[in-house]
Amino acid sequence: MRRYLLAVAAVVLLASPLSAHHSTAMYQMDHPTTVTGTVKRFEWTNPHAFIYIDVKDEKGNSTEWEIELMSLNHLRSYGWVRTTVKPGDVITCTGGAAKSGAPSMISALLKLPDGRELRS
Amino acid sequence: MIGVAFAIGIALAAAQQAAPPAQPGESPYRIAGRLPVRIMSFDVQPKSIRPGEKVTLTWATENPQSISIDPIGRVAPRGTLTLTPSATTTYTLAVTGASNSADKRMVTVTVQGTTAASATSASHLPKAVPRTADGHPDLSGVYGYGQAPGGRGGPPPAQPVLKPGAEKFKIVRAADDTGQYSSCMPPGIPQSFFVPYYTQIVQAPKSVVIAHEYLNLHRIIPTDGRNHPPDPDPSWMGNAVGRWDGDTLVVDSIGYNDKTEINGYRHTESLHIVERFSRPDFNTLSYEATIQDPNVFAQPWIIRRNFPLLPEYDSLNEFVCENNRDYKPLFGNK
Repeated sequence: MRRYLLAVAAVVLLASPLSAHHSTAMYQMDHPTTVTGTVKRFEWTNPHAFIYIDVKDEKGNSTEWEIELMSLNHLRSYGWVRTTVKPGDVITCTGGAAKSGAPSMISALLKLPDGRELRS
Repeated sequence: MIGVAFAIGIALAAAQQAAPPAQPGESPYRIAGRLPVRIMSFDVQPKSIRPGEKVTLTWATENPQSISIDPIGRVAPRGTLTLTPSATTTYTLAVTGASNSADKRMVTVTVQGTTAASATSASHLPKAVPRTADGHPDLSGVYGYGQAPGGRGGPPPAQPVLKPGAEKFKIVRAADDTGQYSSCMPPGIPQSFFVPYYTQIVQAPKSVVIAHEYLNLHRIIPTDGRNHPPDPDPSWMGNAVGRWDGDTLVVDSIGYNDKTEINGYRHTESLHIVERFSRPDFNTLSYEATIQDPNVFAQPWIIRRNFPLLPEYDSLNEFVCENNRDYKPLFGNK
């Protein structure tokens, strides 16, 4: 039974993308979140890239969301360059939000202003 | 002309293709894993040259799984190549991606006074494992991260047999522990091979350099017959010496600190690792690590992996852990 469970765990692990650097245990990956906002800045850095966006609620109040992406080697393999996202772009990010409720998430895919969707 | 129309047709089909919709509660990485591939650009300049002149080929793709240019071979998702075609040549960029998506584009360089070169590419033919001047297989190249022989769905990785009383070396993580890599400290050996980043081998006559993109860690391993120095200082990457056993590079290492992990287990400074590297075919680096620590393991623990050659890359990228975070606050109290 233990051997079977190990085999199942291995298959599940292999079916998911490898975490580039850390586990995603702090994010709610089983309840995907989608946020849309205007890019304030883009940090093209390792071990992870980050985008900061202003997200407006229905009353017009703005909240800054921190969007974590994969590391640069993975982003490059998806076709990213450091100018793929620019300040002022309106983008939509889908991923897992922080369990703490903080406006922070890890994004697995991202929609650019022209509608292109990219792995992130 | 028909070929061009066909290529445009494929390009339009890919551009209009959307990823299948998400299922409730589905992991966002699964959703992202279905995004279709597309070619953003593919161009050659100038399009007409005299014999001996150069052209520059540039391309960009998004969400690719495989990318190749015929008659060149595998290429990176984005790139630039300077070429000197000897005859009029048509280059075909072909990509494949998730959800059975594909895209293809062609560009042609006219070399004045010549006729079109054959479209047959030599890049698909099997290649022999290269050898260095001293007759050893040349392991040099950039390799991807691999999996246990047998591939996906194969047996789970071998687990060690602990000596009695050594159970404390098995790592049990707290719920808010984000894993051994989140500290940005060196993973050590063999773990530097098991992270999802590339490895590069540079083989010289009297040494072999093994470099890992993750944290830009490297070992310069002498293969000139020398032995370990007496009582080396404990270190993250150990003290390694190499020798050839036929067509296999054998790397013996000691002198490790006790701060790294090996597949979920800690170890002591008595760690001794013997790694065997070989290239059974042009596209594969075979890796075997035999791990011994008399304080922890009852018997040698053997871990095997196959790493694919990535001919589209000739060097690793810089990797500096400059923007690491403390993720604990993101767990909250939920």
